[in-house]
Amino acid sequence: MLEAFVVATILCGFFGILFKKNLLMKIFSMDIMSTGVIAYYVFVASRGGFVSPIVDANGAEKVAYADPVPQAVILTAIVIGFSIQALMLVGVMKLSRDNPTLEITEIEKNNTP
Amino acid sequence: MNTLTIAWMALPFFAGFTIFILPQLDRYLVSFTAVASAVFAVKVFLMDSPLALQLLDSAGVTLLIDQLSGYFILTNALVTAAVILYCLQTGKSSFFYAQMIILHGSLNAAFICTDFMSLYVALEVSGIGASLLVSYPRTDRSIWVALRYLFVSNIAMLFYLVGAVLVYKAHHSFSFEGLRGAPPEALALIFMALLTKAGIFVSGLWLPLTHSESETPVSALLSGIVVKAGAFPLVRCALIVEEVSPIVQLFGVGTAILGVSYGFFEKDTKRLLAFSTVSQLGWIISAPAVAGFYALTHGLVKSSLFLIAGNLPSRDFNTLQTKPMNTALWIPLVVASLSISGFPLLAGFEAKMLTLKDLLSWQSIPMNLAAVGTVICFSKLMFLPHGNAQPKQLPHLGFWLAIGLLLGGLIFANAVHYELYTVANILKSIGIVAVGAVIYLAGIQRWVFNLPRMFEEFEQLTGVMTLVAVLLFWLAWSWR
Repeated sequence: MLEAFVVATILCGFFGILFKKNLLMKIFSMDIMSTGVIAYYVFVASRGGFVSPIVDANGAEKVAYADPVPQAVILTAIVIGFSIQALMLVGVMKLSRDNPTLEITEIEKNNTP
Repeated sequence: MNTLTIAWMALPFFAGFTIFILPQLDRYLVSFTAVASAVFAVKVFLMDSPLALQLLDSAGVTLLIDQLSGYFILTNALVTAAVILYCLQTGKSSFFYAQMIILHGSLNAAFICTDFMSLYVALEVSGIGASLLVSYPRTDRSIWVALRYLFVSNIAMLFYLVGAVLVYKAHHSFSFEGLRGAPPEALALIFMALLTKAGIFVSGLWLPLTHSESETPVSALLSGIVVKAGAFPLVRCALIVEEVSPIVQLFGVGTAILGVSYGFFEKDTKRLLAFSTVSQLGWIISAPAVAGFYALTHGLVKSSLFLIAGNLPSRDFNTLQTKPMNTALWIPLVVASLSISGFPLLAGFEAKMLTLKDLLSWQSIPMNLAAVGTVICFSKLMFLPHGNAQPKQLPHLGFWLAIGLLLGGLIFANAVHYELYTVANILKSIGIVAVGAVIYLAGIQRWVFNLPRMFEEFEQLTGVMTLVAVLLFWLAWSWR
């Protein structure tokens, strides 16, 4: 059930990229898609009945802990996704001077030979 | 060797960030890094056995360095060095050099890693670096082209992440071997992303605009090496997991034909070269076992062709027909075109023969046709008029040094597979070149119509991605 919601978020984002006409909206849709992907990693790592993989001061106790790897690697993806987003928004800012409506068809028409 | 590998991998990033602090060192640092990569590549060739590294523990980064990575690293080093030589007199800022060397480092990382997460990071860094280089002139058009590139590659990489976590779910590891027992949707998503990133088949139609609208040195870098960062993992996966090899080879044949068919109709030199890159990437992945050598020859030849094309009096073939170019430019142009067509005495011949020998039986007819198609496309360049009619200023010294390095590399690389110089092979390759040239002179020369550019629009590109993913899913489903 939860997985279905996560996949639905990814698809919502992707359809936004496909169907929105405004470049800014497309970038926001991409962010939604990446939120979905991140949630999917968290979903894969999470399992009922397990504890967080944190060792307390008394030393390691043999307990079943949740898999930390997907969450650890997705941190990298979050940082990369956010920096790409920032870079793209700067590009959009520059483009918006000459294309104030930011409609993708207009930008494409003006900028392809 | 372990410490050396890690030091070599970190060097470009260290150099890149040092340039931001000490901009006056830019040229020295980037040249040093490119030379260091070339030396490392030679060291890789001298190794007796492949080197496999596992950093940290089972969940850590895995690296594999063998002959295949050696070829890609050498290509990276030579292309970067040539572009540095070319840029020395063009007054590029330190920012340009810093981005270029960070891009170089991320590509190096992509050529040695064997797990999906490290590959993801390497590919994303290369995407950011490449798009910053494309947008360097900061005109509206260059910003749009860079933004479009970043957008397409980032959407592809988001799908890739989903594929990677599916592999992890099946095996609790991100390594390439995990593809074996992974569900078909994992393979579909990961391969779709890599095909898009590498500019292969219909999902790669972002490539012609990006590569043709960039500045000359950036185009050389993009076509010479950056797209190979996407093709390399495909080759590596095909070698590690043999079951997926037919899928990769199928896409190789498809894109080899697609690229040249678009190339027939091109009226613009840089777009012709970009479509030829699409087609040549198909050659690289159509025979994974010998992909390294082909990638080396293609990297050398394509970056030299882009550097030459950037110095021609015009980009338009019709204008070039009426306005002869300088003979001094025409000679390297013909040498490079002959190499990519597979003419003997140049390394392109060995690469082509090696690939043709290593094909599956059903591949050989379409690939031979693609070879003739390549000759037809490059006849457009070879048969351009030349002369010294108008004394035009020749390009600067850096250009000649870069071309010398690249074409010299092509001649030296001949020594690698000299055993391929048999009478049958030589006759075959001359035959292919002759047939291609005759077809060009007989018909293609006079074609005037243009293909629509509809499929290169941004929205078509994203839509086509889903279609390729569906196709891959079906292939993975039926061939597992």
